[in-house]
Amino acid sequence: MKKTSRLVATFVAASVAYAGMLHTAQAALIGTAEVATAERVPGVGDARAQVLSTLARADVARALAERGVDPAQVRARVDALSDAEVAQLQQTIDSAPAGASDVLGVIVFIFVLLLITDILGLTKIFPFTRSVR
Amino acid sequence: MPSRARRRVALAVLAAPLAGCAVWRDPPQTAALVGRAPAGLPRRVELDATPFFAQTEYHCGPAALAGALGAAGLAAQPETLAAQVFLPARQGTLQAEMLAGARRQGAVAALLPGELEALLREVAAGHPVVVLQNLALPVVPRWHYAVLVGYDLDAGEVVLRSGTTRRATLSLRTFEHTWARAGHWAFVALVPGRLPATAGEASMTQALVAFERVAAPAAGLRGYETALARWPASLTLAVGVGNTLHAAGRPRAALDHFERTARRHASAAAWINAGTIALELGQRRRARDAAARALAIGGEWNDAARALMQRIDVRPRPD
Repeated sequence: MKKTSRLVATFVAASVAYAGMLHTAQAALIGTAEVATAERVPGVGDARAQVLSTLARADVARALAERGVDPAQVRARVDALSDAEVAQLQQTIDSAPAGASDVLGVIVFIFVLLLITDILGLTKIFPFTRSVR
Repeated sequence: MPSRARRRVALAVLAAPLAGCAVWRDPPQTAALVGRAPAGLPRRVELDATPFFAQTEYHCGPAALAGALGAAGLAAQPETLAAQVFLPARQGTLQAEMLAGARRQGAVAALLPGELEALLREVAAGHPVVVLQNLALPVVPRWHYAVLVGYDLDAGEVVLRSGTTRRATLSLRTFEHTWARAGHWAFVALVPGRLPATAGEASMTQALVAFERVAAPAAGLRGYETALARWPASLTLAVGVGNTLHAAGRPRAALDHFERTARRHASAAAWINAGTIALELGQRRRARDAAARALAIGGEWNDAARALMQRIDVRPRPD
């Protein structure tokens, strides 16, 4: 038994080492779309990642906390949206007029409204919220 | 109401404060245009050479697209396009499909700002504009794609290639109403290397990234190079140039470009791509240097940087 398991172990070790050497030089480059998402170019790449990164902004998180809203709850709400809904949400945030006096306020309003629509029973994401009827 | 419909209402409520509408007086953008003379905008332009394809049945989308592509020098027949963009079940063409259809034919399709003045400036620059209109009511929409080919500020009119009419004139205010009801949606389809007059950096970047997915690398490269020349500070556009150089079979040029880009932006992503290509070319010291710099920068690309370093170290000698 011991001899067999040693053989197996050696074989496995050799395979893993060999597989390591099989790394081709054709590893994929980081795609332009990925960089665009990381650079938060509006309209490109993952809308969900963009919305979440907006939420993660220090000023947005602070403004939400000031209103007694837990950013983690909003994040859960965003996670629960479908891809199409997230895309629409991203568009709404994008069209907050740049240079307007209270862009931050608009963004915060959008996130708070998102949370409220769930509490009001317009959606049913959180099992523990009871809709006002 | 079923919960899906409720969700849509909620999102519509979210979007509502940012949409506007005026019904009984001059719509806002027309009023502004007619009121003041925008700097550098000719009073009257018509792109008479824009090809016309009379639409058949619901194929206003393919017809409009064929017109815009033809004007850009990328000839296409509506029937061919219809096979790609028309959805029989929906009896129409989705907006996303119009953009994708243009890109598949080799044109960079870029969304324009939702302003009437932007559309007129594009026409003045020689670019016909594909527009979406809602010819009926918000609650009972009648969607229609047309091509804006001319305008006359003094007569207060626009000229469209629309439906089965080669030269359909519409008052500016009516056009704005129908266009506003379609969310101010419009795009230009141009050959790569030609920039719209009014598309912003974000819109152009979005357009080029989408174009890169389906286009020949040389075409993608032309698009990115032109945009980078216009917006030289953009990391994304610079990465686009590098990636399309590589895809076009020019790895040495791509490597040099990525190194320059990485230095300029202190970008881990650019260093990683530089290192990956250097490794491909067998330049291990250069690859190692790039990977080390990427690791030093850290951040979201850390895993990729580490993976690159491992690949460099694992490769059997000699190189």
